[in-house]
Amino acid sequence: MQAEIGLRPNLVRRWANGVPAHPWLTVAPVLALVALFTIFPFIYAAVTSTRQMILTLPDQTPFVGLKNYLDVLQDASARQAAVNAVVFSVVAVTAVTLLGLLVALLLNQPIRGFGILRALVLLPWAIPLVSAGIIWRLLLHGDFGAFNGLLLQLGIVHSYIPWLSSRQLALGAVIVAHVWREFPLPAILFLAGLQVIPPDVVDAATVDGAGAWQRFRYVILPLLKAPLLIVLVYETMIAVTVFDLVYVLTGGGPGSATTLFSWYAYAATFHFLNLGQGAALSFIMAAVLLLFIAIYLRLLRVGRDDT
Amino acid sequence: MKRKLRLSRVLLVAAAILLGLVIALPFLWVVSASLQTETGIFRRPPSWLPDPVTIDNYGYVFTGKIPEAYAARGLLRSTVTQEAQYLPIGLQNSVMVATSVVLINLLLGTLAAYTFARERFRGQAAAFSFILTSRLLPGMAVAIPTYMIIRQLGLLDSKTALVLIYSAFTLPFTIWVLTLYFRSLPRDYEEAAQVDGCTRFQALRHIVLPLAAPGLAAVGAFSFLFSYDEFLFALLTTSSLNSKTVPVMIATISVNPDASYTLIAVGIVLSIIAPIILATIFRRFITSGLVSSLGRA
Repeated sequence: MQAEIGLRPNLVRRWANGVPAHPWLTVAPVLALVALFTIFPFIYAAVTSTRQMILTLPDQTPFVGLKNYLDVLQDASARQAAVNAVVFSVVAVTAVTLLGLLVALLLNQPIRGFGILRALVLLPWAIPLVSAGIIWRLLLHGDFGAFNGLLLQLGIVHSYIPWLSSRQLALGAVIVAHVWREFPLPAILFLAGLQVIPPDVVDAATVDGAGAWQRFRYVILPLLKAPLLIVLVYETMIAVTVFDLVYVLTGGGPGSATTLFSWYAYAATFHFLNLGQGAALSFIMAAVLLLFIAIYLRLLRVGRDDT
Repeated sequence: MKRKLRLSRVLLVAAAILLGLVIALPFLWVVSASLQTETGIFRRPPSWLPDPVTIDNYGYVFTGKIPEAYAARGLLRSTVTQEAQYLPIGLQNSVMVATSVVLINLLLGTLAAYTFARERFRGQAAAFSFILTSRLLPGMAVAIPTYMIIRQLGLLDSKTALVLIYSAFTLPFTIWVLTLYFRSLPRDYEEAAQVDGCTRFQALRHIVLPLAAPGLAAVGAFSFLFSYDEFLFALLTTSSLNSKTVPVMIATISVNPDASYTLIAVGIVLSIIAPIILATIFRRFITSGLVSSLGRA
């Protein structure tokens, strides 16, 4: 009897205080939703990647072990896609990071009117990737592209250049569109990093006779290591998995010039209907991505200990 | 010294103008192109400003009245012109999906993040890291299985499917941002409120949420932009006007070789209005949200 009376008001008070019977109640819906679209797809894709699964042969899906992975690794066009993706990622991540850093250094200057620029900077990043891609498709078009028109008017070229349908230029064109779209995020992160650097630190270096480059290299840059790490990890993820841009800009062509890895996985799955190979390709992509992230973490951790 | 300072100032302003042009010109050109006739856009070099200015392209998208400039070009463009007419419905779908995702994020995300920030329970760390690492999986890797789930649920070609998928993709980031945000708020106010007789839920609603408003604005903006911009999963699961979103529609139009370029430009302009307005209004929250969340990763 005593115990019961003691227990009841306690429980009632707990409910009145709005403490859920168990904290899991508030977390469960999210966990369920995330798990539904993560764990099941992951397992399903893992299983698919070890089977011969071709949509045109729906009744024959034998277990083939690692054959899909081996096939993909030995396939010349998959290797071409991997090479393209590496070139794209290295150039794009470097360009996005450097441009972001330069823009941040610029916007950090106390000059009137730069406020407008800070608002403007966000826009390429806010619009749909598809829209950004089509904008650049219109700009770089070989028949009427505005960029061609501009170059012609400035006397830099004498005839229109088919940026997107030239084997040599198409990948570069996709990179330009990608950089235009992606630099705002690094710029914002670097700018925030710059704004928390106490001016005294930089002034002290100036007094000690450090030039502009030395101040940047030995004072400012080491303090930007945290945003740099984030930018590298995030932008590598974006660059390795880029898909929307290729879809609207080039469709992977001309030939295989802009067939990046994720586009190749998409084509294997949806054009050639080889689900097993598509899944294997996706897993290779995910593994490479994790490897890159591990390398960055390693490099920048080591660097951090030095300073 | 003074001259050197002035020179560097001039250089900085020049760099700023160049940056402004690089960002703004592509946008301005698309707006200009959308107000031109097809012949104007094909001139070499093109006419930078619309001459003559025509709103016929927009008129076509919203009323179906075929611009006179096209009537002359015959039937070649009939398929595309029809697609462009669906854009208003696509915009409606996109905004409905994105708004629903925002509401789900604000409701479920707030509750879960508040629990993560203030409670201690078994499995908490595991649940938290599971939710966060789920985003490391590339979308392409789970595209097919996600399609199968949606088919199994009988939700193919529905806005509900998109809302579910996008919620699963945005909630991790929302919870990350809000958990950090809630943790940064002092507990004192909540405790004082509870001493004064507020329930825990009332304390959350009346004390914590107003303080966390900037964080909520940031996650709202992020989840809206993500859902509004997403392409791959919309491409895979939608098939009719019932659920097609703007990115799917304009991508379909733009890869059509017969597409009218001025109508494509109209499509782009219509597709970027909502995100540009949102990004401009919520700029401060987006920036601080990005910085506080990614800066602490």
